[in-house]
Amino acid sequence: MTALLSIRDLTVTYRRDGGEVAALKDISLDIAAGERLAVIGESGSGKSTLALAVAGLLPASARVDGKIDWPGLGHTPLGGRDIGFVFQDPSASLDPVMPVGKQIAEVAYTHLGLGWPQAYAKARTLLERVRLPDPDAALHAFPHQLSGGQKQRVAIAAAIAAGPKLLIADEATSALDTIVQAEIVALVRQLVAADGMTLLFISHDIALAAELAERIAVFRYGGLIEIGAARQIVSAPRHAYTSSLLDAHLGLDAEPLSLQAGTPT
Amino acid sequence: MSSPLLSVSGLTKRYRRGVKIIAAVDDVSFHIETGETLALAGPSGSGKSTIARLVLRLVEPDAGRIRFEGEDFLALGGAALRSRRARLQMVFQDPLAAFNPRATVARVLDDPLRVHGIASRQERPRRIAALLERVGLTPDLAPRAIHEISGGQRQRVAIARAIATKPSLIVFDEAVSALDLSVRGQILRLLLDLQREERIAYLFISHDLGVISAIAHRVVILDAGTIAESGNARAVIDAPQSAIGKALVAATPRLNRTRP
Ligand SMILES: Nc1ncnc2c1ncn2[C@@H]1O[C@H](COP(=O)(O)OP(=O)(O)OP(=O)(O)O)[C@@H](O)[C@H]1O
Ligand SMILES: Nc1ncnc2c1ncn2[C@@H]1O[C@H](COP(=O)(O)OP(=O)(O)OP(=O)(O)O)[C@@H](O)[C@H]1O
Ligand SMILES: [Mg+2]
Ligand SMILES: [Mg+2]
Repeated sequence: MTALLSIRDLTVTYRRDGGEVAALKDISLDIAAGERLAVIGESGSGKSTLALAVAGLLPASARVDGKIDWPGLGHTPLGGRDIGFVFQDPSASLDPVMPVGKQIAEVAYTHLGLGWPQAYAKARTLLERVRLPDPDAALHAFPHQLSGGQKQRVAIAAAIAAGPKLLIADEATSALDTIVQAEIVALVRQLVAADGMTLLFISHDIALAAELAERIAVFRYGGLIEIGAARQIVSAPRHAYTSSLLDAHLGLDAEPLSLQAGTPT
Repeated sequence: MSSPLLSVSGLTKRYRRGVKIIAAVDDVSFHIETGETLALAGPSGSGKSTIARLVLRLVEPDAGRIRFEGEDFLALGGAALRSRRARLQMVFQDPLAAFNPRATVARVLDDPLRVHGIASRQERPRRIAALLERVGLTPDLAPRAIHEISGGQRQRVAIARAIATKPSLIVFDEAVSALDLSVRGQILRLLLDLQREERIAYLFISHDLGVISAIAHRVVILDAGTIAESGNARAVIDAPQSAIGKALVAATPRLNRTRP
């Protein structure tokens, strides 16, 4: 299995208020072409920093040591063309005053060298693929006319418009209700499979990560705690921290906390 | 049998959207007993937060009745309403949004004690320290600004503020949704301890059925402003009867921890 990208000794430090924050420390991992990798960890553990570093989107205030190679690509990736990015808040990635069809068409126009009519035709096909009801009307809709889940579908359509090799979803479903979340996750799974894309899925939800990904990487305080097959991480974690995350998960079968051992203080 | 702590009947709230009128809450009835946790679940837009705002009288209903502590809550006004508000508190998802971020922790806790005349000026610092300890924080946090403490600490401060006025009911609207798993567990345990010791009832809004089965006695599942089903939380989540209840359960990710 060839690695799409290979991260070696990656350390990212932010400068802030005269001090320094080490957001990632000595991270080494490979992402295989075509795999679905989830990154989980608590707030501030460095998940988004990893995503931004991979996408080449870190702010100027960040110092980067180590390297990221792209053996599976053969060249330095171009954001928007080789890497699609979906954020938690779809409003942040959509222009509020531009019809969504134009926003998607623009990606195809810029990166695929299509003329505008073909770019619009492509946008329409993409809106169909992300299963937006009435794609012809949706082409002309503005973001505020769509629900949160519909906006996220549009953001996904724009992210995959140029046919990227890697799709990064950073908490892309966290702001959605469970039913819409399940729909979006099913959509991402299907698109990634159909186009042979590689998926980097970032989430604090360990159960969601385990349902979607083949491998899971667990981060804490900027370090990679462990990485392995989703089944192994969930059923036989090697690290105590991973076990504590699993224990803190409250599933549908969660016992009432009042009945659980160790509750009273 | 004594009457419930809170009972809501026929509650209705309509909003205008463009040329259409939508019923955000449509003829909803439920009750909460003293010391009980009732959860409200449902997809986005089903009316959960609108019910919270109606119960807190932050917005007025178009129809319906609310009885709280044996009184017609909707008939209260002026000073009577202000004094009753002390008994009915709230905690929302983002405590930063509820407080001025530059206010200190002490200031945030001083306000309700002062406004509701609960403690004299001299007595208040001691009360504030006691409240902080009650929610598992150390009193040395008092002089810190709200933006200088962590999200979990802020949520504890919000709970301390809510219990400062000795309420009989607290409304939580997605109050633990943004917290890390470990912090969320600690906060839920704190809520259970407070409930056990002070007999506070909770109206607990969450889209997370796992959290609901861990903390709630009963659950009401909403769909488009109406009650789709309700009952014992365990029973409803184990065997939902309504279409929306089934969809919510089916959409919840499962963690299968059995060894391969
Ligand atoms: N632009 C920035 N400037 C300074 N510090 C930053 C910046 N972005 C992130 N950090 C810090 O770097 C660390 C890692 O942040 P990061 O956003 O990668 O975490 P995360 O795992 O994505 O968290 P969350 O789950 O809250 O999104 C944190 O301590 C954060 O405060
Ligand atoms: N002030 C308002 N003006 C107009 N419409 C409103 C207003 N507040 C709520 N609504 C509408 O009422 C319905 C119910 O909204 P509400 O906020 O109660 O839902 P919710 O169940 O809390 O959803 P979420 O899970 O997304 O928080 C929605 O259709 C919403 O758009
Ligand atoms: Mg992040
Ligand atoms: Mg709400």
